Amino acid sequence: MAAKSNILEVSDLKTHFFTEQGVVPAVDGVSFQIKRGGTLGVLGESGCGKSVTGFSILRLVRPPGEIVAGQIRYYGRDTVNGDDLAQIDATSEEMRQMRGSEIAMVFQEPMTSLDPLFTVGNQIMEAILYHQDVSKAEARKIAIEMLDKVRMPQPREMIKKYPHQLSGGMRQRVMIAMALSCRPKLLIADEPTTALDVTTEAQILELMRELQEELGMAIMFITHDLGVIAEMAEEVAVMYLGKVVEQSDIESLFTDPQHPYTKALMQSIPKVGQKADGRLETIRGMVPSPRNIPTGCPFHPRCASFLQGICDTELPQLKQSKPGHWVSCFLYEDGNAGHSSTPPPAPPQSIGEG
Amino acid sequence: MVDEGRVVLKVQNLKKYYPITAGLLRRVVGHVKAVDDVTFSIPERTTLGLVGESGCGKTTAAHTIMRGLEPTGGKVVFHDRQLGAVDLATADKDTLYQVRRNMQMVFQDPNSSLNPRMTLLDLIGEPLLVYKQAKGQELVDRVAELLKHVGLRPEYMRRFPHAFSGGQRQRIGIARALALNPQFIVADEPTSALDVSIQAQTLNLLQDLQDEFSLSYLFIAHDLSVVEHISDFVAVMYVGKLVEHADTRRLYHNPKHPYTEALLSSIPRPDPTTSKRRVPITGELPDPANPPQGCYFHPRCPYAEALCTHEEPPLQEVEPGHYAACHFADKLSLRGVNDF
Ligand SMILES: Nc1ncnc2c1ncn2[C@@H]1O[C@H](COP(=O)(O)OP(=O)(O)OP(=O)(O)O)[C@@H](O)[C@H]1O
Ligand SMILES: Nc1ncnc2c1ncn2[C@@H]1O[C@H](COP(=O)(O)OP(=O)(O)O)[C@@H](O)[C@H]1O
Ligand code: SF4
Ligand code: SF4
Ligand SMILES: [Mg+2]
Ligand SMILES: [Mg+2]
Repeated sequence: MAAKSNILEVSDLKTHFFTEQGVVPAVDGVSFQIKRGGTLGVLGESGCGKSVTGFSILRLVRPPGEIVAGQIRYYGRDTVNGDDLAQIDATSEEMRQMRGSEIAMVFQEPMTSLDPLFTVGNQIMEAILYHQDVSKAEARKIAIEMLDKVRMPQPREMIKKYPHQLSGGMRQRVMIAMALSCRPKLLIADEPTTALDVTTEAQILELMRELQEELGMAIMFITHDLGVIAEMAEEVAVMYLGKVVEQSDIESLFTDPQHPYTKALMQSIPKVGQKADGRLETIRGMVPSPRNIPTGCPFHPRCASFLQGICDTELPQLKQSKPGHWVSCFLYEDGNAGHSSTPPPAPPQSIGEG
Repeated sequence: MVDEGRVVLKVQNLKKYYPITAGLLRRVVGHVKAVDDVTFSIPERTTLGLVGESGCGKTTAAHTIMRGLEPTGGKVVFHDRQLGAVDLATADKDTLYQVRRNMQMVFQDPNSSLNPRMTLLDLIGEPLLVYKQAKGQELVDRVAELLKHVGLRPEYMRRFPHAFSGGQRQRIGIARALALNPQFIVADEPTSALDVSIQAQTLNLLQDLQDEFSLSYLFIAHDLSVVEHISDFVAVMYVGKLVEHADTRRLYHNPKHPYTEALLSSIPRPDPTTSKRRVPITGELPDPANPPQGCYFHPRCPYAEALCTHEEPPLQEVEPGHYAACHFADKLSLRGVNDF
């Protein structure tokens, strides 16, 4: 059998937090695939479950959080049948090896993931020594090479520096160097440029594209920024309240957005270079608390196209509205609006292979 | 600098230096010139956007203008409704107290700028009490009115800020700033911590309030799309200095400073067909304690020539109302926001 064309297939993933105040369904039936060497953008406002999805894949969700359903099939090691990461013990040696050498992650705030007491060189070397059978001297050489790869000026000097001696952009480069030092096949980048200036952001995005081309890794790029997603992603999954509400290739998403939430998001941002005097379009209300998710379509209290009697009672499912474009909204179901007998509420189905 | 209509604020050669000390005796060995010779003015009922990379001195400039920080030099002439022209940089305590009714600030982080132990009534009512504008039932009525203005329900006034979302807390901060009916508001990254959909609501609110109360804004932000949308004029800062200042249209479409061009080129565009074409600026922001000789931007500037490495360019009027600090401002033909 031939190797899968996807590196990752997530289907019906549910990660819930069992807190004292009740259950938080942070990720609630998420499905998507990432192609080998491709880039999936995950777009959504804060709290919609982007980070928890990333942490779930790496099995870094800690109690009271738990994966309660779904599969995370990773085709990097066993390229034909894949491994279901959801079934591997999160604390096992196997999973620890998986993190870093197969799948690596870069976080929004590099300061919280770098140890202030060790030099950046030490930290990169440690990651290398953990995953690769090399000597300390070789690890040091790789560390310098990686820093050079992420365009750190004077990498030989840089490895002696402590994190607080570096700017935000430099620290993010260190994080990327560390994440890529073991040549992962999948990189999960969680808002890697959100804390940076536009100029530094542009540099880091450019760098990530170049390294992806050179190393051939796939990227899951998490962001709330429509500009960044347009620049980085080939495929996009739009999340709202723990669910994927729309998924398509990047061109189709921008030229023909379908879900009312996606459309509203696109209209609510000011378009640079097109200054107009008027007001911005807004989405009414705000994202509800995940402890208190609305019935039916979770977007219905804010939706301008809301269909009374349908949207507030039934859960729309992710369905293909046109080739390669998936949306979970009753406006796009066969025969369109107006009927209320079908479909019965069911968990969102996984997407077929795209 | 701008002579259209009346000016609410005129900042002239404003400086704020922080001493760098060394050794046991804390000898001053140098200065961080966080704000260095900044000059601009804001016409009534307009918005000046202030942009620049992190650490370039935007917040320091704002606090020095408000006299939250003592200026090292320069003038800040505020045209107070009651008192007329006042130089805030040298004003005495009593004058400052009176002027502060008319100038207010809105902060980036609505969580840390609101006292968690005060109810909305206390928070928004405080300035009214301090300036003896209202008390008792009248105070309650005024707070209710203010809450309505910013789109919050008056019934919420006995609640504490933690019961509100980030966007709602920003509205609370705006209501508090509006309490004394000011002329001028400094908003330092007021939407940076907010979600896209809430950002749009907040920007609309700020614009509506500007029309309703004839407000002028100094609007600090790093998001260049937001700044373009809200601002009538834009000033670009680099390592403590203004490098360009013009009306929004000209600054975005016909920039005169290479740094502005670089900023515009870096903006991620929400359009997959036009992106990936830009040339990102190289290098890093210099250490403000030890800036380069000549033009501060020369190590990163693609147009730098020998002159730039030793001679500092002054901020000059390149075209009427368009100021730039570049030796070659009138010779270079730089790309605007839609040329990338
Ligand atoms: N109390 C202080 N002592 C010494 N240096 C300071 C002090 N406060 C600020 N600075 C320095 O002054 C410069 C300007 O800082 P400021 O906070 O004004 O930047 P900013 O433009 O508002 O940045 P950001 O976009 O990150 O908010 C920086 O180099 C900063 O390190
Ligand atoms: N440790 C936790 N305990 C309880 N709830 C959590 C925890 N971590 C995340 N959540 C909740 O899960 C939801 C999704 O969070 P997250 O994935 O971080 O959002 P995003 O990355 O999209 O901003 C949020 O409502 C958040 O409050
Ligand atoms: S299902 Fe109904 S409420 Fe939900 S997005 Fe579609 S139209 Fe709006
Ligand atoms: S003065 Fe020289 S270095 Fe400075 S911006 Fe102009 S061309 Fe560039
Ligand atoms: Mg997150
Ligand atoms: Mg600041």
